[in-house]
Amino acid sequence: MEHGYWIKSKPVYNALVWHEKATAHLIIAKNQGVLVALKLFQQRQPTQPVTLLYAQDGTDYAKTLNKVVPAGLDVLNSEQDLLVSLKNIMPNMRMGLRVYVAGSEGFIWSVAEVLKTFGVEDADIMKELTDTLARTIYCVHCKAITHNITTNIGKCSGCERMLFVRDHFSRHLGAYMGLMIDAESPGELPEIEEIYP
Amino acid sequence: MALNFKKETFREDYTYSNSDAAIKRFPFPFPEDQYMYSVNIEPHTKGKQGTVCEFTFDIDEHYVAECLDKKITLEQDPGRYKALPHMMDAQWDFVELTMEALAQDYPEHFSLKKQGLIWTWENKPLGIKDTFTFGDTSTLATEPFDYIGRQLQGDFVLLDHRDETLYADAGIVTSQADWSLAFNVGMSWREWHGPVPRATELGVMDRALKYLLNLQIGSPVRRLNWTMTVNPRLDTSPENYPHWGGERNTVNAENIGDLIHLRVELQTLFRLPRSNAIVFSIRCYLISLKDIATYPRWAKRLHRVQKTMHPDLIEYKGMTKFHPMMVDWLAKFDDGETLAIGTQPE
Repeated sequence: MEHGYWIKSKPVYNALVWHEKATAHLIIAKNQGVLVALKLFQQRQPTQPVTLLYAQDGTDYAKTLNKVVPAGLDVLNSEQDLLVSLKNIMPNMRMGLRVYVAGSEGFIWSVAEVLKTFGVEDADIMKELTDTLARTIYCVHCKAITHNITTNIGKCSGCERMLFVRDHFSRHLGAYMGLMIDAESPGELPEIEEIYP
Repeated sequence: MALNFKKETFREDYTYSNSDAAIKRFPFPFPEDQYMYSVNIEPHTKGKQGTVCEFTFDIDEHYVAECLDKKITLEQDPGRYKALPHMMDAQWDFVELTMEALAQDYPEHFSLKKQGLIWTWENKPLGIKDTFTFGDTSTLATEPFDYIGRQLQGDFVLLDHRDETLYADAGIVTSQADWSLAFNVGMSWREWHGPVPRATELGVMDRALKYLLNLQIGSPVRRLNWTMTVNPRLDTSPENYPHWGGERNTVNAENIGDLIHLRVELQTLFRLPRSNAIVFSIRCYLISLKDIATYPRWAKRLHRVQKTMHPDLIEYKGMTKFHPMMVDWLAKFDDGETLAIGTQPE
C-alpha cells in the first residue's frame, strides 16, 4: 500500500474517555469491548448514573462488572438481544445522555443504526474498535450485506458474486462497498488474502 | 425555437449520436494542454445563445430519449431514487426551481400555470399534464422530487446543509460515472469524495466545500467534470458494472474512434430558498472520439491532455485498458501547433 494512503470515508475510532458534561452515561459493549468499559472505570467512577449493556460471547465478565456497575448493568447473551434491550431503554433516556460503544466495526454500526432512530447522531456516539478488523460489506449489485469479511475479496451472501472490498465506507449502511471483481474478465480472481484479521 | 427530439438508445444497440449542431455546442472541458483537478467553479450566468449554459437547465435533442432511458433504469432498480424523510421541503423547492425555469426558457415545450397553490404543469415532449397542490405530496402520484426528476436530463442530488458541511440526503441518479447513490446517501461531503485520488492532497475538496457553504439564493454556480467511457452509455453505475464492465474489452485500434466517448458533466449548484438545501445537478454530455476529431483544435487538445494525464487519474477514471490506444489514435491529429487557451472548437 502506498505511503500516506488513507481511507477518507472510514471512521476514526478513538479510545473511550468519559465525557464530563453529561447527565447520564450509556455504555454498549460486546465481547472484548467490555474490557474497554472496565478501562473506563479505571479512569474514574463517574458521579452521573451509568447504564451498561453487554453482549457476552463466553468469557464471563459479569462478576467484575457487577462490582463496578452495581445498578444499571444488563448482561445479554447475544447482539440481537442487546439491540432489543437498547430499543427498550432508549425512550427513557433524557437530554445530556452520553453514549459509548465498544466492539467490532459491525457491532458499532448496528448499534449506531438503532440509536439513529432515537435521534442520536453518529457524531455524538463515542466508539472504540475491539476484537477484529473484519469488515461488513454491502454488495452494490444485489444490495445484500455480508458480515465478517477478513479477506481482500469475499463472496456475497446474496448473489454469490466475488466482491472486491473497496476502501469506501458508508455510515448509513455500516458497511464497505463490495464490487464484482471479475466483471471484465470472468473467472479471473487475484489471490485471496486475509488482510482484515 | 422548437427542438427536434431524436429517437435513440443509450444501451444495447447504442443508436445515440450527435447532430452537427450538437457537436458544435458540446461543452469541451479542456482549455489548456494539461489537466489536473482544480476547484474551477464559476457563476452559472446566462451563456451565449445556443450554448449549454444559455438557460438554467439545458434541454437538447437527446431530451426525450434520455428521459426514456432514465425510466428504464429506475424500473430495473428503484434504489436509484432515494430521499431521506427530512428532505421534503427541499423536494418542493426543487419542483419550483425546475418547473419555473423550464416553463420560462422553453415555452414551446413546457408550461406552468399557477392559481395560488394549485399548479398545472404541462410537459409536451413527454405528453404529461398534471394539476397538483404545491406543498401537498398527496396530490402527486410520486414524491415531488421523483416526479419532476424523471422529466429532466441528468442526475440530481439534494444536499442538506448542517454541521458546517453538506450531506447527500436525496438523489435521483441514473447516469452516473461509477458512483452509487444507494451507498452514498446520507454521506457528508468529505465521505463521499473519499475515493477521488489526489483531490484531498491538493485541498480541492475542502476549498470547494467552503465555497459552496457560502452559496447564495439566486446566484447558482457551475463547473465541468469529465471522464472517458466505452459506448454512449448513461448508466455506468457500479450497480450495473457486471453488465458494462466487459465492454472495455471490445475496444480495438479499428473501432476506438466510434466506441470511446468523452463524457462531460455540466455540474450546477443552486441554493434553495425554504429548505436552505443545495441542488447538485449533474448533466451528462457524450461525444465520440470521431466526432471530437471533426474539429482539429479539439483533437489536438485532447491528445495533449491525455498524453500527460497523471497515472492515478487514468486508473480512477477507468481508462487503464484503452488509454495508450486512445493516445495513439489521437496522435495522428496533432501537428504540434500552439493552441491558445480556451475550449472553443475552432
